[in-house]
Amino acid sequence: MTQGGVKTRASFPSTEWFEAVRSLVNSDEQYRRIGTCDAVVGVKVPDRQKYYLLTFEAFECSEVKESTEQEVDNADFWLEAPFEKWKELITNVKDNGKADLHHTLNTIDLEDPQGFARSRDGYKRDLFYRFNQSFQYFFDLSSKIETTFPN
Amino acid sequence: MAQEPQTQGPDIPEDLVKIAQDNNIPLDLVRRALALGFPAEAVKQQLAMPGVTAEAAEQFISQQEAMRAGGEVVIPDDLAEAAKKHDWPDELVKRGLRLGATAEMLISQMDAGLRPDQAERFITQQERLRGAAQPGAARSAEAGEQALDLSWMKVPTEWGIRVRPGKKGLTVGALNVGTYGDIPDYWPYQTEMPRGAYPIPGVPAMGYTIYEKAELWSDNAADLYEEAIQRRWRPATDIPWESIEPLPDEIERAMCQLCTFFCEKALLAGDTVGKWLPEMSYGYHEVKLYLATAEFDAARHFEVFRKRALCNGGGMGIQSPGYFHRAIIDARAWTETSAVLHILSNSFLMGLYQLGEYVAHSEAESNIFRLCIQDTARQLAFGLGHLKYFLIRKHDRREEVHTYFNKAEAVMVYDDENDNVLREALIILLGGGLIKEQILDGYRKLEYFKRRWVRDYLARLESAGLPERRERLHYSLKKYAEEPVAAQAA
Repeated sequence: MTQGGVKTRASFPSTEWFEAVRSLVNSDEQYRRIGTCDAVVGVKVPDRQKYYLLTFEAFECSEVKESTEQEVDNADFWLEAPFEKWKELITNVKDNGKADLHHTLNTIDLEDPQGFARSRDGYKRDLFYRFNQSFQYFFDLSSKIETTFPN
Repeated sequence: MAQEPQTQGPDIPEDLVKIAQDNNIPLDLVRRALALGFPAEAVKQQLAMPGVTAEAAEQFISQQEAMRAGGEVVIPDDLAEAAKKHDWPDELVKRGLRLGATAEMLISQMDAGLRPDQAERFITQQERLRGAAQPGAARSAEAGEQALDLSWMKVPTEWGIRVRPGKKGLTVGALNVGTYGDIPDYWPYQTEMPRGAYPIPGVPAMGYTIYEKAELWSDNAADLYEEAIQRRWRPATDIPWESIEPLPDEIERAMCQLCTFFCEKALLAGDTVGKWLPEMSYGYHEVKLYLATAEFDAARHFEVFRKRALCNGGGMGIQSPGYFHRAIIDARAWTETSAVLHILSNSFLMGLYQLGEYVAHSEAESNIFRLCIQDTARQLAFGLGHLKYFLIRKHDRREEVHTYFNKAEAVMVYDDENDNVLREALIILLGGGLIKEQILDGYRKLEYFKRRWVRDYLARLESAGLPERRERLHYSLKKYAEEPVAAQAA
């Protein structure tokens, strides 16, 4: 996101970072063209004890908020990876303008024996697949943010 | 048949004369029906119904004549019982009978939710029109002026509905308001009449065979339809075909073989759903609408994989054994078909699409597989939704569902074990080539992916209310049922 040519800077993981991506998504006509998306998606960075809930509704991401692990466990599904893996994903998106073939959400999911996308409900976990292009687009848009990673 | 002499009474239109003669109905009976005020079109429809006899027509018309002559209208017991149950006054029922409605038709309307006040309006209108049509009655239209029969404007359906668009626009699910949201457990009509419309007698049956909601319903059908329409994609222009570059021969051959397999699967899915759509009655249009999009998904998958096979110097590969195809298309109940096609077969297919995206060599291939994953996930969602609905309402058929899976899993395993072509293609794609180490790597990864898809398959069945499937899984699949132990693919 640029404001007078200056990109938004945000630290990952933080509510500000997800808010910045949400703002990009909600003003992006291409995201809308992908189609409706309805899911409550959790994000877990367990080694930093950071948890977030992203609410996707119709043609927008209607809410992002920091949450507790228990709340995230009740999301439709959650994306879980250690901090370094998240950093690799976001850095790859930044470097390429979008995820390269080895860093798509699906590929990262397959490489993790427990799955990157997890849920307590097999039906709800499939929302990760049903709206895969929307979620991929969400994270790809983070290429427009100057992301910093705290040590 | 010889032409009967014209006797006293209304003239009979020529086409009605022919229909009466074709069905051995005396013209005098037809004339008496017209004299009673029945429109010629209605008489035509009745005579064209299968099984109509002169004796039955005589009995019906005599009853009507007796009623019009002031004879007592007797309400049959079953009609009286239905009227009491639905609070229809006896006089209203008698007026309906005087108009020529059959007891069966009136009961059907009561059961379909037609309220007494709605029926009253409709019957009054019909009586007025019938009176105007009686011989000698004054015609409202002047000579030369075209008279409109506007009785259809008084149709006793729920009126004044104003559904407003929501965040997703005006969706099919949003239309289910008032009586239009009443989706009955049994659909009583054998015609293509849309739910909420008003039936007319004499319309030929359409030959549907599924009239029970539990046999086809899924609560998510309307949403899945909208989702499919919203998230549609076009293989011709949405895939960056120019990103595909020449690949090593063995990789291109393996990818083309995989594409051939997917083309077969898509054709099968299209044929299977296409075969079942005409069996489903129109009371459950949400299901029919969604499945129509699933048909389109199948066509699109065939299209995109044929295009991928033929766009990079390759071609189509070898046909697969296809034993499992017969298990799907030969299923005799929709629930069995849906369980096997949407849940078992699509869980396997979903695993292969994920694998395809994992080994993609270009942006085009990555996009193709991701988009197919989305379409297939909707079909899985429908299958799971239907199975869940079915299991809740058909407790006594739980064992039958296991039999569906027992049979299908066995045939699928047999098919898989005999499909060396597909297995070798997958090993080459996963390993990256034909060198010994690559083949070994490809084999290890394939085993890893099988564990994943069996895990996902069982998790889906558990969510649909069939957790015990884990214990009853086919023995050849059970070995994959433990959690994946190592990220070999990584």
